[in-house]
Amino acid sequence: MDLALRSAVIFFFVFLLMRIVGRRELSSLEPFDLILLVVLGDSVQQAVTQDDYSVTGAFIVVSTIALLQVFMSYLNFRVPRLRPIIDGEPIVIVQDGKVIEGNARRERLTLDDIAEAARMQQIASLEDVQWAVLETSGELTFIEKQKN
Amino acid sequence: MPNLPGVAEVPDTIVLKRHRDLEGRHKDVWFRRGLLTLVAVIPVLGLFNVFGQRPGKPTVATAAARLQLYAPSRARGGLLYEARFHITARQEIKNAILVLDPGWAEGQQINTIEPGPSGEASRDGQLELTLGHIPQGQTYLLFMQFQVNPTNVAWRRPQNVELFDGNTHLLTLKHHLTVFP
Repeated sequence: MDLALRSAVIFFFVFLLMRIVGRRELSSLEPFDLILLVVLGDSVQQAVTQDDYSVTGAFIVVSTIALLQVFMSYLNFRVPRLRPIIDGEPIVIVQDGKVIEGNARRERLTLDDIAEAARMQQIASLEDVQWAVLETSGELTFIEKQKN
Repeated sequence: MPNLPGVAEVPDTIVLKRHRDLEGRHKDVWFRRGLLTLVAVIPVLGLFNVFGQRPGKPTVATAAARLQLYAPSRARGGLLYEARFHITARQEIKNAILVLDPGWAEGQQINTIEPGPSGEASRDGQLELTLGHIPQGQTYLLFMQFQVNPTNVAWRRPQNVELFDGNTHLLTLKHHLTVFP
């Protein structure tokens, strides 16, 4: 029983952590972030299974986490009011070539970060951007101005 | 910010009031910061030994003997730790017997007891370790190594220690152990 409880506790703790850390940090996987992710996974694994090396234990843990993930996804789908909490909401960062300073600052995005993300989508200048939106996944998506 | 004239349509499902002007979302960031502070409190509490396992040194002394215990009072599931019992005989102790609460064995492995006591028994549910003769002025050092069972959780579980000389009670040291999951 404790395996299922541990899995659930760790699931919700990691979920909470991921929500409050901020999406931008989660989407940009630099090599250091990748290493941190592995370290995080390893720490979590030890807390969940501890000295249990059994296949049964793995079944319990994996099933619990999978069920909770489906449950959260179901909640997100069925209860629109919970979506901002579970998934977050998009936020407009650039409109008509101009960075909305307050929104960028709120998401700890610098002008360099936005310009870099734009370049990765083959956009040379932010002036060509009509909309830039920081999506709930942490990705910045760009919609270019219509050229007449 | 107003919609500028001649600007392309707003992307589907984006509501400018909410997603650009952050109407109704101004408290979100403070909520997030509050939760982040709560998360930050966890390692700070860890630094202050709230979750163990820094050992303490509770000591009891009487005219006959002095007992100092070197052991943590807080630990976490799966951790290894040591308990050290310093028994100093202020008077000769002909047959020192250490009596431990069952909390010393409950939910944890006793990996070793060194030096091995000459006798082990149960005294009304407590662990009785016969240590033998301790001449006046000398110290008997008993090491015990433990590992907390990963599934073990405890809140101030009594781990009292009593010292006897044969059937004569010499002292009692109060100790407890809290085990975090």
